[in-house]
Amino acid sequence: MSSITSAPTTTHSNAMADFSRTTSRWGQITMIAGLLISVAGPLYLVFATGLDIGPAQLWIAFAAVAATFGIIWIVEPLTYYPILGPAAMYQAFMIGNISNKLLPAALIAQTNIGAKPGSKRAELAAVVAICGAAVVHLISLAIFVGLLGSWLISVIPPSVLLVTRLYVLPTVLGAVLVQAIVSMKQPRTTVFALLVSAVVVFVVLPLVPSLAMVSTAIAVLGTILLAWFFRGKNTITEAKPIHIE
Amino acid sequence: MHQPLALQPLAPNSSTDIMAIANNPVLWICVAGVFGVIIIQSAIFMKAARRAAPAVDMSTQDIRTSFRSGAVSAIGPSLAVSLVAIALLGLFGAPAVLSRIGLIGSAAYDVSAAGIAAGSMGAKLGDASYTQSVFAVAFFAMSIGGAMWMLATLILTPLLRKGDAKIRSVNPAAMAIVPAAALIGAFSCLGLTELPKSGIHILSFLVSAAVMGLCLLLAKRLGKSWLREWGLGISIVLGLSASYLAVGPAIGA
Repeated sequence: MSSITSAPTTTHSNAMADFSRTTSRWGQITMIAGLLISVAGPLYLVFATGLDIGPAQLWIAFAAVAATFGIIWIVEPLTYYPILGPAAMYQAFMIGNISNKLLPAALIAQTNIGAKPGSKRAELAAVVAICGAAVVHLISLAIFVGLLGSWLISVIPPSVLLVTRLYVLPTVLGAVLVQAIVSMKQPRTTVFALLVSAVVVFVVLPLVPSLAMVSTAIAVLGTILLAWFFRGKNTITEAKPIHIE
Repeated sequence: MHQPLALQPLAPNSSTDIMAIANNPVLWICVAGVFGVIIIQSAIFMKAARRAAPAVDMSTQDIRTSFRSGAVSAIGPSLAVSLVAIALLGLFGAPAVLSRIGLIGSAAYDVSAAGIAAGSMGAKLGDASYTQSVFAVAFFAMSIGGAMWMLATLILTPLLRKGDAKIRSVNPAAMAIVPAAALIGAFSCLGLTELPKSGIHILSFLVSAAVMGLCLLLAKRLGKSWLREWGLGISIVLGLSASYLAVGPAIGA
């Protein structure tokens, strides 16, 4: 919205053009830096600590993840752009937790200064609000996860740690599945997804265990095809930002 | 019963002391680097916004109000994310959690990516097959996933800024259906994959799913949006508590 609708008038076109140029250039530079640093860590582990992991294993893991989330990688930036505007895109997709934290932060700031949605004031307010949110986010992570969390891990009984390690995955996925189903509001698609997944997990995999590597990709593809070919006539709603935190 | 079954051939390095490599100093340096990049970006964007503000009728007070509103409204969600992150510390270690779940990514995608990557090596997160090598590949998969999000943003934002109508006019029905189907399909398959592992997996899955459902229902009924933010954290804590009670006697806790 904000990026397209308001044609700059002569009075503030220079200042806003300057803002766009700065945020675009530095947004890209900082995002590329963030990207490289975040991949450097695991690559160091893989290749420099003598773990003996072949590139093939990395490619297979990457392919398996891409087959599952590849569509989301592209769709998410597309659907958030009209809400965030260009400058905030570079902030949001580096900081993360967009829908549950950054969007509310931006909206509250806009309301508090009475900025009309889509206006240049609103765009600036969003960027500033996300900066404020980022500061709080970094501080709380450093204190509660970095310091407190590390201390907690060191004093927690080993049995609790063991249980956490073994069962945190099903607890995360149970909650996230419900969250996805409720927030997408597509009952038909949900039924297809559960059916396809049940067939894959309880029928196909026991018969052909070697498909384990691509089981999620099969389920994703199957769900998309069924949801598309059996879509209802009134499902053509506006494409909403899809995000699961 | 909670004891994992013997699994497929283990990765070459079969040490399961994840924390030994998860707390590698180089990983801590990378976390500091990511924090630093975000701080630098925020500083540059703040300065740019301050400079542009007068031209669009935005006072210094407006800037201050916006910053404070953003900061205050982020407190609750940040604490909620921290709770989820703490729950994952035992699995991935602090550096990976801080750089993956805390920043860039989110618990749902990164835990899923890690699970998928472990599966591609014939291993499962958290049990005896979860070796150092599996951790390294899982961490790589999470990070490369986050990198792809950033890559898509880097490529698409300039195109969208030019107002490229072609990208935006993708069939709206497809945009409404395909991504939702992909997400629900992925998470339902990943979720159901957990069930055959053991009875306690089923228990923790069901408890957590039920708690999340309850949180979302109450959030809607009572208009308490903090329940939505804290839903994942609460579900994880109660799901894990249930599994701890179920296995407690077995591991002599």
